[in-house]
Amino acid sequence: MAGNTAEEVEGSAPAENKTTGTVEVPPEFLIKHPLQNTWSLWFYDNDRNKSWEENQIELTSFDTVEDFWRLYHHIKLPSELRQGHDYAVFKQGIRPMWEDDANKMGGRWLISLEKKQRNSDLDRFWLDVVLLLIGENFEYAEEICGAVVNVRAKLDKIGVWTADTSKQQANLEIGRKLKEQLGIHGKIGFQLHRDTMVKHSSATKNLYTV
Amino acid sequence: MSASPIARQATSSQAIPSRRVLISDPAQMPDVYSSTPGGTIYSTTPGGTRIVYERSFMMSLRQSPISQTPPKCSLPAALLKNPPSSSNSSAPPVQKPRSNSISFDESQETFSMDL
Repeated sequence: MAGNTAEEVEGSAPAENKTTGTVEVPPEFLIKHPLQNTWSLWFYDNDRNKSWEENQIELTSFDTVEDFWRLYHHIKLPSELRQGHDYAVFKQGIRPMWEDDANKMGGRWLISLEKKQRNSDLDRFWLDVVLLLIGENFEYAEEICGAVVNVRAKLDKIGVWTADTSKQQANLEIGRKLKEQLGIHGKIGFQLHRDTMVKHSSATKNLYTV
Repeated sequence: MSASPIARQATSSQAIPSRRVLISDPAQMPDVYSSTPGGTIYSTTPGGTRIVYERSFMMSLRQSPISQTPPKCSLPAALLKNPPSSSNSSAPPVQKPRSNSISFDESQETFSMDL
């Protein structure tokens, strides 16, 4: 490339700092990086005295990369949660429920994890999914509603929720990107919320598969 | 040009970084109009700009001092990684040594646009 020599000069910047005595903090560390969307972090508490809806708690919201990390550094990883608990990250204003107007016509890409994957893959998959969402890494990012991680005795699950099941191209792009970025070798399926409502997820047929 | 467009905007008091690129052959010119020699100029497109971050870039911000500070909101104690009461004196969290010469991967586009 043409810029090779110039880049070498730039690369020696820290050495320059030593000689002039100034310590330069990388500019990226001085600011917060705004996200395209504001996202809410939800927690599902498994309190038997409460209804399912009452157990869904909106903990806080964030709209910068740094505020996301502040949260992430201070809360438990999915693998550290008690069984029966969920985290969800949704665009602000969308509740992690099928009934929400933004989810009514939607569905989810479902990643099921075997028990042995709780230690190896669950936390990594969840972080990568959240980063894909908040970094707006999908071509059809406007179709994304949010993502949920369910910590369960049998199968842990990660679902990426999208707004409109009829948008085949958008949903397929999201599914393919998800699979590729997480390095999943098997198939993953896309299910309609209105099918999941009436059947157990294991019995729900897939509308799309990648 | 190690800073992202957003960082450059926010830290405008710093000197504007510049770089000289010597072109000795027409073949060294980028083959698309949207690119300049040695890098791409980022700008706004008619439909507006979407803020896109690559995973690697967001991971590099994980070590930022701001990212290490506790969140302002109150969170249920059951969700906290280090409950403040129990592990006060025992083992302080190990702080990774921070260096000031962190370099960002310039080969990765940290900011891309909707076209």
